[in-house]
Amino acid sequence: MVDDQTLQSDETPVVLLVDDSQFVHRILESRLRSESIALIGEYDGQAGFNRAKNELPSLILLDLDMPVMDGYETIRALKEEASTRDIPIIVLSGMNTSQDKVAAFDLGAVDFVTKPFELSELRARIRSSLKMSALLKMLSQKAQIDGLSGLFNRAYFDHRFKEEFDRALRHGHALSMALIDLDHFKSVNDTYGHPAGDSVITGVAQIIQAQCRNIDIACRYGGEEFVLIMPETTPEQAMAVCERIRLACENKSWPQHPSRAVTLSCGLIGTEDGSSITSTPTAILESVDKCLYQAKQAGRNRITGVYMSGTPIDISKAG
Amino acid sequence: MTAPDPNAFSLDINDPDDAELIEYFLDELPEKIEIINTAKAGDDVEALSRIAHQLKGAAPGFGFPTIGSAAEVLEGSLKEAGGSIQDVEQVKSEIDSLLALCQSFIDTNPFA
Repeated sequence: MVDDQTLQSDETPVVLLVDDSQFVHRILESRLRSESIALIGEYDGQAGFNRAKNELPSLILLDLDMPVMDGYETIRALKEEASTRDIPIIVLSGMNTSQDKVAAFDLGAVDFVTKPFELSELRARIRSSLKMSALLKMLSQKAQIDGLSGLFNRAYFDHRFKEEFDRALRHGHALSMALIDLDHFKSVNDTYGHPAGDSVITGVAQIIQAQCRNIDIACRYGGEEFVLIMPETTPEQAMAVCERIRLACENKSWPQHPSRAVTLSCGLIGTEDGSSITSTPTAILESVDKCLYQAKQAGRNRITGVYMSGTPIDISKAG
Repeated sequence: MTAPDPNAFSLDINDPDDAELIEYFLDELPEKIEIINTAKAGDDVEALSRIAHQLKGAAPGFGFPTIGSAAEVLEGSLKEAGGSIQDVEQVKSEIDSLLALCQSFIDTNPFA
């Protein structure tokens, strides 16, 4: 249920070559043509770093001795930037003393190939690095996904919410978040058995995924609790998303208990201007938890929302 | 110095992929010779080192191991020479050998 862009795809891996010598570009274009990779290139470290940030290649082949920004500085920059930190780097260099190799490995390169290349060796090393990074990526994705619902798990939420919070604060973007809890879920389990309860969790996860937008991040927060991060979304827009989810859930018929509908309650918090946030991610979670509690107290199957400033959201404004 | 036999390429000139690389390198050589001449005239050790380093790394892959070796020798001597080669006859003669070698390949270019 996690969307395609975050899941390991079968697309041809993009390999970025950063080298100031046009000879190296020319020879690798020719000699890697038969590999199933898409080769893109830059001629100095700064341009290579920028390209890596924009295109997030699967692998970087990096020369050490370059103008503007040399290979060592480039590795450092790539490792400091969150989005490029995990991209494997193979150093290609004519500098082949142990000292150069050790320095490159210490900075985070995964491999070192000396020029002139032994091409069959370079190809084998590229393949091996790509395979290793694909496996690591798959492992880390598995570690982020909840096994039952297929949504992101709690650990992923904790980390991602902090990231989105920082981003909203820095750029002044809108940000909203909803905490969703199934009503009387325990009685579904008690009455129809745990397999039926599991089907409800899976079914509601599907509803949430179907009703939210591509940019939203849906996670299973715990037992029958879900959390939805809605980046660049005003509280009013978020209210509309949650209302769609609430309605779809209320209207869904369950094969294992057709006469028993499942409803959910939802706490919502948001701001249209991230730069005005004065609270912390933890405090925001506490506030949204309070909203959820109020929705439960007010009779369940409803949404209670609050602006990050503390003012309640008028549900009639949803849209 | 006698011109090397074009068959001395370490790549197979009858293979289309190899031939493409050989041709490309030969096309680029005049520009490299130009750079070396300018740098030599201007006593620009840094530029000489850069081009020697580049040829050392690249030439063998394009089928020109002899150019690679000559460039490697030159790169080493330039490192020892320090900031100027004006009074270092050995380096000057190594530059001339490298230039002559490059020129001989251009003169016998089978694609020209």
